[in-house]
Amino acid sequence: MRPYLSIFKMNFKGELQYRGKAISGVMTQVFWGFLNIYLYIACLQNTSVDGFSISQMASYIWLGQAFFAIRFIMMGKKIGKNIENGNICYHFVRPLNIYSQWFCQTFGEKLSSVLLRFPPIIILGLLLPAGLGLSLPVSVPAFLLFLIGLILGLCMSVTISMFAVYLTFKTLSKRGSSSIVNTITGLFSGMVIPLPLMPQAIQNVVNYLPFRFITDLPFRIYIGNVGITEGAIFLAIGFAWLIVLIIIGKLLIRSALKKTVIQGG
Amino acid sequence: MASIIDFQDICKNFKVPLRAKGKFSTLKNFFFRKHKTIKALKHVSFQVEEGDIVGYIGPNGAGKSTTIKIMSGILNPTTGSCTIDGFVPWQDRKKFVRSIGVVFGQRSQLWWDVPVMDSFELLRDIYKIPQQEFENTLNLLNEALGLEELLNRPLRQLSLGQKMKCELAGSLLHRPKILFLDEPTIGLDAVTKLAVRDFIKFINKQWHTTIILTTHDMSDIEALTNQIILIGKGQILYKGSFDEIKNKYSSTKIISIEFAQEYDEISLDGYQTISHERKFATIKNLPDKEFHIKDFVNQISKKYEVIDFQVDMISVDEILAQLYKEYGLVER
Repeated sequence: MRPYLSIFKMNFKGELQYRGKAISGVMTQVFWGFLNIYLYIACLQNTSVDGFSISQMASYIWLGQAFFAIRFIMMGKKIGKNIENGNICYHFVRPLNIYSQWFCQTFGEKLSSVLLRFPPIIILGLLLPAGLGLSLPVSVPAFLLFLIGLILGLCMSVTISMFAVYLTFKTLSKRGSSSIVNTITGLFSGMVIPLPLMPQAIQNVVNYLPFRFITDLPFRIYIGNVGITEGAIFLAIGFAWLIVLIIIGKLLIRSALKKTVIQGG
Repeated sequence: MASIIDFQDICKNFKVPLRAKGKFSTLKNFFFRKHKTIKALKHVSFQVEEGDIVGYIGPNGAGKSTTIKIMSGILNPTTGSCTIDGFVPWQDRKKFVRSIGVVFGQRSQLWWDVPVMDSFELLRDIYKIPQQEFENTLNLLNEALGLEELLNRPLRQLSLGQKMKCELAGSLLHRPKILFLDEPTIGLDAVTKLAVRDFIKFINKQWHTTIILTTHDMSDIEALTNQIILIGKGQILYKGSFDEIKNKYSSTKIISIEFAQEYDEISLDGYQTISHERKFATIKNLPDKEFHIKDFVNQISKKYEVIDFQVDMISVDEILAQLYKEYGLVER
């Protein structure tokens, strides 16, 4: 465990250095937050859709902006770069499991970019008037469940990023691979259109796909759109998905490694 | 005694897509793709004994790096078997890599944006090196390479030479039994090159580390080892002593001549013209003719009016160039 923990720490610290990046990220997120909220206020005309009220929608969007870094699928930036330029060969000469090594690397980077970005947006959201800003969680149990959901979301996001790594391995293009995975994730995790606003038939499917556990589920627990019991059941489903996806990811990476070709020299 | 590296009949093929040419070729390539098999290694076998330094040389694209990558467990060979220190590299990769260190001269294993020491500490954790042992090793490497001032600076601020020193140290922290160096002196200045060579020798003596070294710089080989393996087009062409090859070719002399007037042609019995331009010419003796200064002066002064001439030994690089030519390895 120790080696993996150290890799995590190294990447966590590494990402913390990039404060400028975080600040510009926060500004973009705030802008998008307002844009989205006014858009939906205009669309919904102060009504509610299936019990999803304007103020719940505003909270949902602010949470989404605050934890955008969880949702945004990015593999550890060094992994993509190293696959492209061939430096990846050093990852193979370490006495470590390749998948776990990359998982920790991505996890470290992701966690620090989340921690750098969410506090200012949450504070701003809480300061805004109700209906436009972020409301407090519906209850203490809901808040605790929300926190567990966030951890699941973080793990799920990293796990899905590993599929982008796999695609990069296959195609040698980190940009293309990330975009594909990002588009799918964005649509099904409720970050493009909040899932409660989707037609019921689509919701019935999307609710059980792994993507919604990244952000949609914890946010809906927070705003009370998903109850405590229902939330707990869904969290269990989410953790089951997580294990399945990690196993599939590991198998895929292992099969890809057998056909490895190192670029150049 | 069993060899520490036993490479048996290894072949490695790569499949590369062929691109069609002509009209609509892009479209054709998109839908139908033909593949071509490139044989990077063809039945390569060799053994290396523990504690040896072996130079692995050959022109670009000969298969040197592929061999190193197979030996370090990064690539699977297509066929053939290989045991290194009792392991099959690509099967027991996780266990195996503890006994090897690798430096790829054109790549970096250390973290770019953190102080070198942080990278070293991470490597300590990755290899689970006990703190005391880590400190001892680091002290030793420090002394040998003069790293002291570099350790607290981020890698990105270091010069190429400083970086290479750190890379070398990084690959040796876990005291590997075998060290693979893929072009460790590439791009280094003369002083650093010497320091790196001294260090390689030092490590070999100190820890009895087996070292496999690829390089294009023949002076590296001359300074470090007498054992070479020459590879070209995926095949081993020569295994054995470097001196032997040198002796074979060292009878060749390169003679540069300045004439008093321009001649249309320079022809001397037993000599071959390498270049000839106006009043200047370079010639060499043919392999079956031994060079005698008296004979040469006699011949040339009879036929031509000479102002000056200079006789040089063939350099190691030229020997290699000749070898490559002889084996048909030079692309024209």
